[in-house]
Amino acid sequence: MPTVSASSATFTSPLRLTFPTNQVALKASNLKMVSMGWAKKGFPSLRTSRFRVSCAAKPETVQKVCDIVRKQLALPDETQLTPDSKFSALGADSLDTVEIVMSLEEEFGISVEEESSQNITTVQEAADLIEKLVQGKPEA
Amino acid sequence: MAPSSGPRLSGMQKQVLSLYRGFLRAARSKSAEERHKIESIVSTEFRRNAKQVDRKNFIYIEYLLRRGKKQLDQLKNPDTISLSSFDVGLPQTKHTKR
Repeated sequence: MPTVSASSATFTSPLRLTFPTNQVALKASNLKMVSMGWAKKGFPSLRTSRFRVSCAAKPETVQKVCDIVRKQLALPDETQLTPDSKFSALGADSLDTVEIVMSLEEEFGISVEEESSQNITTVQEAADLIEKLVQGKPEA
Repeated sequence: MAPSSGPRLSGMQKQVLSLYRGFLRAARSKSAEERHKIESIVSTEFRRNAKQVDRKNFIYIEYLLRRGKKQLDQLKNPDTISLSSFDVGLPQTKHTKR
C-alpha cells in the first residue's frame, strides 16, 4: 500500500509542473519578440552604424562633438580623436571642459545642467547626453 | 552613463567652475565683439589664478569667489556692455600659504 501511493505521487507532480513552465516559456518568447521590434524601430541608425553597439548616439553627433572638441582645444590635425578619447588625456583641464560643454550647448541649442556637465569626460559621454537632450526638446 | 567616471571635484572647485560657466553665459548676451573680449579676459583671469593661487589657500579663494560673483552680477546687468581689465602694476604678490 505505501508503495502504490508513492508512485502515484511521483506521477502527478511532473504533470502539474510541466504545464506552468510551458506557459512561462511561451510568454517569455513573446516578450522577446516584442522588445526586438521596439529596438529596431527606436534605433534605426544602429544597423548602419560603424560604431559599436554600445554607442547610442548617432555618428553625426559624435562627429560634430569631435569637431568642436578639436576646435576648442586647438588640437593639431594629426591628433587621433575617438569617441572614447578622454578630454583630460587630450590636455584639457576642468576650465576647458566647461568651455567645451558651453560650445556644445550653443551648437546643438540645448542647455546642459551643471550636475551632468561635470560628469562628461569623453566624446562619447557628451554625444550620448546631447542625443538625450535633443530628443527631449519639443521640436527637433 | 556612469556618473562615477567624472573627476572628483571639491565643493569649492565646483563653485569656481560654476562661476566660470556663469561668466561665459553672461558673455553670450553681449555684442559679438565684446563677447570675445569678455571671454578672453575671463579665461585669462581664471587660468592665472588657477596657476598662481595655492589650492589650500581657502580664505583667498573664497575671497576671489565672492569678488567674482559680484563682478558677474554687474556683468549680467543689460546696461553693462563691456568688461575691461588693467594692470595696476602692483608687485607680484604670491598668494601662497604662509
